[in-house]
Amino acid sequence: MSWLVGQASRIYAFRWVTLPPLVGVGMFALIAASLVVAPRESVEGEVQRVFYIHFPSALTAYGALFVVFVSSIALLWTKDMRWDAIARAAAGVGVLFTAFTLGTGAIWGRPTWGVYWTWDARLTSTLILLLLYGGYLLARNLADPTDEQAARYGAVFAIFAFADIPVINMSVRWWRTLHPQPMVVGSDGPAMPLEMVAVMMIGLVGVGLLATWLIVLRSETELLGVRTQALRARLDRRMGV
Amino acid sequence: MTATWAILEKDLRLLWRQRTGWVSAGAFAAMTVITFSFAFDLATADVRPLLPGVLWVTFLFAGVIASSHSFSEEQEQGTFDALLLAPAPRSALYAGKALANLVGLLAIEAFVLVLGSVLFNVPLLVPRLLLVTVVGTVGYVGLATLLSTLGAVRSRAVLLPVLTLPLLVPLLIAAVRATGEALSGAPDGAPWLLLLAVFSFWSAVGAALLFPLVVEQ
Amino acid sequence: MTAGSIIVTPASPSPVVVVEGLSRRYGSVTALDDVGFEVPAGARVALLGANGAGKSTLLATLCTLAPPRVGRVTIAGHDVARAGGEVRRRIGVLAHQPMVYEDLTSLENLRFFARLYGLLDANARIEELLRAVGLWRRRDEPARVLSRGYHQRLAMARALVHQPSVLLLDEPETGLDTDALTLLDDLMLRAAGITVLAATHRRDRVDDWSTGVLVLERGRIIEDSVSPPTPAAPRALAGAHA
Repeated sequence: MSWLVGQASRIYAFRWVTLPPLVGVGMFALIAASLVVAPRESVEGEVQRVFYIHFPSALTAYGALFVVFVSSIALLWTKDMRWDAIARAAAGVGVLFTAFTLGTGAIWGRPTWGVYWTWDARLTSTLILLLLYGGYLLARNLADPTDEQAARYGAVFAIFAFADIPVINMSVRWWRTLHPQPMVVGSDGPAMPLEMVAVMMIGLVGVGLLATWLIVLRSETELLGVRTQALRARLDRRMGV
Repeated sequence: MTATWAILEKDLRLLWRQRTGWVSAGAFAAMTVITFSFAFDLATADVRPLLPGVLWVTFLFAGVIASSHSFSEEQEQGTFDALLLAPAPRSALYAGKALANLVGLLAIEAFVLVLGSVLFNVPLLVPRLLLVTVVGTVGYVGLATLLSTLGAVRSRAVLLPVLTLPLLVPLLIAAVRATGEALSGAPDGAPWLLLLAVFSFWSAVGAALLFPLVVEQ
Repeated sequence: MTAGSIIVTPASPSPVVVVEGLSRRYGSVTALDDVGFEVPAGARVALLGANGAGKSTLLATLCTLAPPRVGRVTIAGHDVARAGGEVRRRIGVLAHQPMVYEDLTSLENLRFFARLYGLLDANARIEELLRAVGLWRRRDEPARVLSRGYHQRLAMARALVHQPSVLLLDEPETGLDTDALTLLDDLMLRAAGITVLAATHRRDRVDDWSTGVLVLERGRIIEDSVSPPTPAAPRALAGAHA
């Protein structure tokens, strides 16, 4: 366990050197692959290329929300406020990518389904996700970032919210049973040509790296903000204000 | 367990003494139902398809008012700290508060059901509907009691609905569908009551377990 | 049992409250900074300090509402962080807020708190307390009609209903009239055998009842006439770990 933590922190020490170029390469690869390499989809046409950013965004959003979940548990467990900074950062990124998923979905939906929005199970549960974590962010931003009790409250909410996701998905699917299953992986193997799957993988890696980078940046910003506040308070005391 | 019953008894006593707070929640619920009946013209058409939604939205809003009232009361008087100073496990304190909220909200819901039966000429006080109401309310109160704890502390009771309602989507869907089943008598195709029961059970247990962590300073 | 009202201080009284290396930060504010002291059994300690010196935080830690992250606090041998229930059973808390229910009568308030502490048959105890604080005749009046002073008297009864061995007071004199203050002093003096730790800014009254003072300034102890001199500390430590 401690070995793992040691390794992780050693890797983490190189974040400023490795992450930015990796994110750059990943994003560039994603654009190039989705626009040039991927074949034109025969039925939907060019607009289908939105998929290569849409689907990775959705998965990345879930990933970020999982980070919120894990760091919320860690916060309750260790009472170390650094976990709260990570949770808030990841929640911000999660909300961003959830919104992005909905946005790209709407762009894709209009030409293929004829509507931007429909009360399909998947769309509905994504919207609820946005509301859940939007509410979380709102509540956390209203509170003082150094308020430990508010942070624990947020963590409890985040744990409930994450545990709620499968139940939401299930209930919404039962609620709207008529709509098609996801087209990526059907029950009889992948329904997409291999190039498309490859480009999708590039998208997953690229967007995943971007999200990681954003979470790292944002959580360190949060931590620096808290430290600045502490230093300012100490300065004020020393100056006798 | 003594602590749980002590809090329940105390809260029920207070609930009776401070009728105004709860009567206003009940009045609010009644107004909501009546407003809905104007908005959807429930008096004339066949109300059964709309009624489950009307009932549950009313229950949810009345519950927000009721549960935030119960903790802000304790906060204003500083008695919440006095509760936390009891040697009993804090989950037991949570259970007491939650049970009291449950009784209060069930009373309001019973009132709404009676009112609805009269206004819409639909028998709402049938066993199956009562079962759905109780099971759904357990889960709702379980979560709302937990979430209103700090909502009251931070005087951000306004945020309570913003945080609670998205969490309650599964409960709302399941409760509305199960209520629809109970009203029409025709099965809906999904085990809504089971989903409702599982959701309620886990939210109540989870809230009781996490409550001690929330109240620690 | 045989001793009268005069408490004979033993040669080496075992400490009831032990605080070691306690620090507490609220975000950027350091509320407590490496605080350590010991309160022997039966002592009556005045906790002095300006507003924001850390008195309330210290008391919140002692009464288990804010368990320590850094440092260790034990009361009657029980760790505040790990055995909060055991600690809470032994402490009575009186704060500037009376912490009673306005819409319950004095009697109902005490009955509720007795049950909350798991005391099933406390009627005799409740009557004794209500008589002691002068509320017996008014026992059926709701708390909201009581004056500030009587509120605090009811709070005193509430804090004592479960017969605590340690009494923690957080500026209980706020807004009290002279009568109630005398009663409060009386209570602290009469609480023979009970260890008292009282935060207060009224230094003038302290000599009337206290056996020692602790002075906090910016989260640090700057004066301590309570803890035994340093050589005694290792023994106390060994005792606490046993």
